[in-house]
Amino acid sequence: MSLFKGRMRQYIPGHKELTAHKDVLEVLPGKKVFIPLYTAYSTTFELLVKEGEQVFVGTKLAVSKGKVVVPIYSSVSGTFVGEQKMMHHTLKPQTHLVIENDEKYEAIQVFQPLDYQNASREELLAFMMNAGIVGYGGAGFPTYIKYQNADKVEKLIINAVECEPYITSDFTLLPEKMDLFVTGILAMKKMAQALEVVIAVKNTYPKLIQLLETNVANIADVRVVGVPNVYPMGWERTLVYQITKKRYDRLPLEVGAIVNNVTTVIAFAHALVHGKPMVERVVTVSGDGIQNPSNVRVRIGTPVREVVEACGGYTSDEVKLIAGGPMMGKTIVKDEVVIDCVSNAITVLKPVVERPVACFRCGQCSDHCPAGLQPVRIVQASKAKDKKMMERLHALDCVECGLCTYVCPSRLDVTENVRIARRQLQIGKK
Amino acid sequence: MKFLYSASPNLRGKLSTRRIMLELMIGLLVVYGFSLFYYFTEHGMAVALHSLILMATSLIVMAITEVGFAYFTKQDIIPFLSNSFGWITAIILTLMCPITITPFALGVATFCAILFGKLLFGGFGQNIFNPAALGRAIVLASFTGVVANVTEDVITGATITTKMANDFNWLVVDPNMIEKLMKAAGGLQNLFVGFYPGGIGETSALLLCCVGIFFIWRKVIDWRLPIIYLSTIFVLGSVIAWYSGMSDWLWYPLFHLFSGGVMFAAVFMLTDPVTSPTSAAGKCIFALGAAIITVLIRIKANLPEGVLYSILIMNMLTPMIERAFDGKQYQILKKAYIVFAVISALGIGSVVLAASQVEPAKEKVKEVIKITPQDEYVNSLEATIESEVDNGDGTKTFTVSAQGFAAKEGPNLPDYNHGFEPNVFEIKVDTATNKVVYLKATKIGDTEYLGDKLLNAKYTVQFEGLDLQSEFEVSVNDAITGATYSAKSSVRALLEVRKALGF
Ligand code: SF4
Ligand code: SF4
Repeated sequence: MSLFKGRMRQYIPGHKELTAHKDVLEVLPGKKVFIPLYTAYSTTFELLVKEGEQVFVGTKLAVSKGKVVVPIYSSVSGTFVGEQKMMHHTLKPQTHLVIENDEKYEAIQVFQPLDYQNASREELLAFMMNAGIVGYGGAGFPTYIKYQNADKVEKLIINAVECEPYITSDFTLLPEKMDLFVTGILAMKKMAQALEVVIAVKNTYPKLIQLLETNVANIADVRVVGVPNVYPMGWERTLVYQITKKRYDRLPLEVGAIVNNVTTVIAFAHALVHGKPMVERVVTVSGDGIQNPSNVRVRIGTPVREVVEACGGYTSDEVKLIAGGPMMGKTIVKDEVVIDCVSNAITVLKPVVERPVACFRCGQCSDHCPAGLQPVRIVQASKAKDKKMMERLHALDCVECGLCTYVCPSRLDVTENVRIARRQLQIGKK
Repeated sequence: MKFLYSASPNLRGKLSTRRIMLELMIGLLVVYGFSLFYYFTEHGMAVALHSLILMATSLIVMAITEVGFAYFTKQDIIPFLSNSFGWITAIILTLMCPITITPFALGVATFCAILFGKLLFGGFGQNIFNPAALGRAIVLASFTGVVANVTEDVITGATITTKMANDFNWLVVDPNMIEKLMKAAGGLQNLFVGFYPGGIGETSALLLCCVGIFFIWRKVIDWRLPIIYLSTIFVLGSVIAWYSGMSDWLWYPLFHLFSGGVMFAAVFMLTDPVTSPTSAAGKCIFALGAAIITVLIRIKANLPEGVLYSILIMNMLTPMIERAFDGKQYQILKKAYIVFAVISALGIGSVVLAASQVEPAKEKVKEVIKITPQDEYVNSLEATIESEVDNGDGTKTFTVSAQGFAAKEGPNLPDYNHGFEPNVFEIKVDTATNKVVYLKATKIGDTEYLGDKLLNAKYTVQFEGLDLQSEFEVSVNDAITGATYSAKSSVRALLEVRKALGF
């Protein structure tokens, strides 16, 4: 609590107990999988397979064109039957590659494993790019780009915070893949030439902290740090500030930090050790709208409906189906949407009817905005269509974390109103 | 299966404006309950009832105004009312007013507060001025001196803040005067506890403190506002105390904190989110400014209360403060520190400057009038011995009638229809020593106030043992009431006895 600024974060009940200590459910896809041709910076892809062609687990299906290189791999074996425009979890229709699953899951070796200890930094970079490693925490930003210009990195921060309520996929995955995880951070430390590795875990997980500590005890310059159980502790800016007490303008590298998510580290290590791309992931399926909340291991491209069925189905006739956690995840209105490599959770909530009242300028939203913005002022400016004001208020820097809506006592859709303001500004820019 | 859509996030915190308003109301009612208890136990049923009528009036006028507005603007009445939270304004307004206010005045104030203070600005959340403060200012401007009948004998004297302003200039250095002030207030403790007449809900600093802490804990109010407001007032009070050289200074800032509407404002008025800035930095500046203005108005403008105006002034500045702190919180942090420091320095400077121009309250030196037997006026009065009784024990009792003010000057005054009777005194003398045993007035022809003096034992005691053979002198302590005339009448009576005894 500071006198002249708000807390910029907030404790949110996590409901992690719903899934945290259950075994991971293996869910195999049905007759067809739909692999989205989508990555954070590109939606144009060069297709590498032809219709009717036989594919295997690991077959490179496509590669993105443009600034960044992200290959897309098949998650099942079977036949590539064509492309299909479908709703994606970003709420935009995207091209998906449809593969008929032969349910044999025959795998091929797409690339050779690499021993990070003998490999050069450049080799590791190329390997990372080729393996299609992206930020699996949700952003989907190609990871190799972070390391391209990484000199003078003081801290490689491993984000094991999972600050969104309900989600426990990293929490579940970490103990299971501890060896891979350790390999991964060492490889990344080498790539970043980082002085030290800091693994950030919530204070509320003492057992996990202990487990990690015993596993990294003998490794120099790797430490585990407990961080407060607040939202959005897992957001890059908040986390970097928590650990370095420095704020940056655009990239964490400005203050000598690189941040990677646990799943990303493990996926990278998996590729290094086994020579296999990421074709499946652990997804938390939770919320009060699902019969049997669990963590499931799902192949990329499996429709959400199949995952929900594996978890016992919905508890109510009317639900909100959310791709991701309840704070930042987008509400999807069709359960045909598929699990993507960045889908860390499916949250199903029973609808709650809110009775909003007028904004009474309490300032809660400004107090809590992790980006330091003043949502109430942005919304005022937006209503007055005052673009200059919106710019002065840095409306474009909103990251849609959702905290302003969460804290608003008047139950207004503050985040949505800030989004409207952003759109007004973006339209003006074009 | 139905999938509902809503924009993210899909989770809400527990805090709700309705709950905040409900708890605010409960806090207000607790304060009101205390006040009712005080008026009932100290001043009786009628006054407590008056207080209830006031509250009811305000609530009813509020409801009528809101319903009327909803009707004329064609809005659904029930949701309009429940989303408008008018009762908070009504209760706050009532609690700010003194018990002596008439229901009519309060009704008018409520109407103005609700309609002009809130609804015409666009309703809840849109108003610039704190509606309750606006209503209170209207009462102050247009209903001064109108006092409800039932409360007339409750509060004969002025409230403590008015006294502090009128008699003590908000600046007291002389220890005797401090003692006098404390006596009038019933001591700092009483000021803190709140068993004294004042604004209906403003008196108990103790209770307001507790409610405030509860509110902060429940996130009903922002902690920055009351804390900065109160501590700034404390610091400024201490600075004045130090500057004017009070030896035992702590009482002075505490007096500022506990008296008048400071505590009430800190908990219920400044913290009105609608009329204060939204940003943390803005809130700090807002509270700081309000505190400085409160103290300045108190010591400089000689008004009983600076609190109300300070709030209204700061309300006016709120949009400016908001603009000054637009941007990202951590980027404007430095600016906030600088602005805060500059305003603090200016505040201390201006308060010291103001204090240097205020005369500290001085004891009014009372004139002591000496009356000798040679006094011209005394000798111009008529006197006759009505009777002379020898008591047989060496003493004589004389009954003397002497012209008093009424009997001498009375007929010359137009409309002077009080008696023209002379005063009658009983004087007992020891004939052996020629000393007065006592002098007392048995019948007073003079007007009440003048005559009071003669019955007063404090005055007549100086006659006891007075040697009639020698020169003597009688002193009257209070020149203002004009008792000198009556005193002179008594001296005249004594001279008559002296003459009768042959001196
Ligand atoms: S959604 Fe945007 S404006 Fe709202 S709290 Fe998050 S970053 Fe701030
Ligand atoms: S939290 Fe809600 S009510 Fe409070 S200022 Fe922000 S938008 Fe207004």
